[in-house]
Amino acid sequence: MEDEGEIQEDDEFEDEERSRELVVPGEVLTEDVNNFLPGRGTILNDTRDKIISLHIGLKQINKNYINVIPLKGIYTPQPGDKVIAIVVDKNPVKYRCDINAKDDAQLKPRNTERRIKTRLGRGRDYQRDHRDESNTDRFVIGDVLIVKVLSADRLNKPELTTVGKYLGKKNGGIVISIDPPKIPRVIGRSGSMIKMLKSLTNCNIFVTQNGRIWLRGDNIAYERLLIDAIYKIEREAHTSGLTDRIQAFVKNEKIKRGIK
Amino acid sequence: MVLIIKDEYPDKLFREDGKRLDGRDKNELRPIKMEVGVIKNADGSAYLEWGNNKIFAAVYGPREVHPHHLAKPDRGILRVFYRMATYSVFDRKRPAPGRREKEISMIISDCIEPVLFLELYPGTSFEVFIEVIDADGGTRCASTIVASLALADAGVPMKSLVTAVAVGKIDGEIVVDLSGIEDKAGDADLPLAITWFNNEISLLQFDGTMDAEEFDTCLTLGKEAAEKIYKIQLDTLRSKYISIQESVSEISNTSGGEE
Repeated sequence: MEDEGEIQEDDEFEDEERSRELVVPGEVLTEDVNNFLPGRGTILNDTRDKIISLHIGLKQINKNYINVIPLKGIYTPQPGDKVIAIVVDKNPVKYRCDINAKDDAQLKPRNTERRIKTRLGRGRDYQRDHRDESNTDRFVIGDVLIVKVLSADRLNKPELTTVGKYLGKKNGGIVISIDPPKIPRVIGRSGSMIKMLKSLTNCNIFVTQNGRIWLRGDNIAYERLLIDAIYKIEREAHTSGLTDRIQAFVKNEKIKRGIK
Repeated sequence: MVLIIKDEYPDKLFREDGKRLDGRDKNELRPIKMEVGVIKNADGSAYLEWGNNKIFAAVYGPREVHPHHLAKPDRGILRVFYRMATYSVFDRKRPAPGRREKEISMIISDCIEPVLFLELYPGTSFEVFIEVIDADGGTRCASTIVASLALADAGVPMKSLVTAVAVGKIDGEIVVDLSGIEDKAGDADLPLAITWFNNEISLLQFDGTMDAEEFDTCLTLGKEAAEKIYKIQLDTLRSKYISIQESVSEISNTSGGEE
C-alpha cells in the first residue's frame, strides 16, 4: 500500500539494560557536579552543587551528561516533524489544524500543493495547478492529514505542509492517541517494536511524534488487537523487556480471540 | 422550625493526658493518604486525604486562555480554582466563590508559580481545579500539596514539589498541623509552604498573637513536619509507575515458572 512508512527517531529508551531509575521533580540526581553535566530535563540549583530533575521520568546517564526522559508531557512541535493533524477549522485563507500541541497549527493552501516552476515570463514564474491561492477546497473540517511541521517556536503558531513523501490526506483507518513521550517505545529500538507489530497483526501503522498513531488492518479484529497492544505499551513504557512481553501478549491474545 | 446551632468550642484544647483532642502529640501530623492519576480525562490529577480533609485536584494545560485578555504575551499563567463543596463544612457552604476562595486560589497560584517554567509557554495557561470535598482545617496547605502533585503528574516541568503545613499555638503551646477546631479556638495559626528547590519559603501567612521566639520554633517545627510530608509526596508520585513495574515483573515471573 502507499501508506507504508514510519518515522525513525533517536531511540530515547535505548539503554534498556542500564539503570532505569525512576525520578520525580525536585529529586537530586547527583551532587558530583565536577564529573557530570546537566542534560535534558535537568537543572543546576542556584548554588551549582546539585543536579535536579525537572520531570517524573527515567534517569539516564549518557557519557557525562545526566538526562531525565519524561514519562508524561506535552508535545512540542519541532521543524521537520511529521505529525498527524486534524482539520478543526478553515477559512478562505488557511486551515486550522489540531496537532496535539499547545497551539493550533496553520496550514496555508500554498503549502498543500506542489508548485511547478514553468516559464510564463514577466515575473509570473509559478503556475498554481489551476487553483487560486485563496482556495481552501482541498480538505474539509474533520480530515485527518499527515503533515510536516515547517516552522515552530514558542511564540508563533506552527506552520504545516502536506507536500512531501508520505504526506497528505489519510482516508480510512483509525487514529489513536497516546502520551507523546512514550512514542519512542512504540517504535522500539531501530523500529523493532513496530516491525513486530506489523508482521503479527498485518496492519499498516503510521506513528508520529505528537502521540497520534494511524492504523489500518485487514479486519477489525486485528485492529482491535493492535490498539490493545499499543495501550499496553503505553502503560508499561517504563519497564524493561517490553518487546518480548508485547510479542507474547499479541500471540496469546490471537489464540484467545480465535484469530490466526 | 429553625434549627440554630451555636459555634461552641471546648475550653481546653488539650486532654488531661497531655494529648490533643484527637489524641495526637504536639508534633504529630494527622494521617495522610495521597494518590495521583485519579481523574482519567484530566492531564494530571491527584487526591489527598489528610485527617478529615478530602481534596481532589485536576490540571489541564498548557492551553489557550479564556478570557483572552488574561493571556500574557511573554509567559504562561497559572490559574488556580479553589472551590469547596456545599457539604464540605458544617453549615452549608454557599457555592458561589467568595472572598475566601479567591484569596486561597491566589495564594496557591502564587506559591506554586516559582517552581514552574511558565516562560516556556507564552500565551497559554495551566489550570488547576481544586475541589474540597470535606474540610477540617488546613485546607489551604492541603490544597497546595495536592495541586503540586497534580502538576507533577501532568508532566509539567517543575523545579521541585511544594509542601505546605500549618503550625500554630493552642492554649499557649506550639503544635503542628492544626485541625479545624484548633484553628478556630486556638491562639495563632501560621500556614507555611516550602519549595524544596533551594529550600525557600513560598507561603507564610499569620493570624493571631505570638512572640518572636515562638515564631522561630514554629518555623523549625514546620520544616520538620514538611519534610515528613514531602517524603509521602515523592513516594506517591513514584508508586504510580512502580506498581506497574512490579505487576509486570510478577506476571513474567509466574509465566516463566510455568513454562
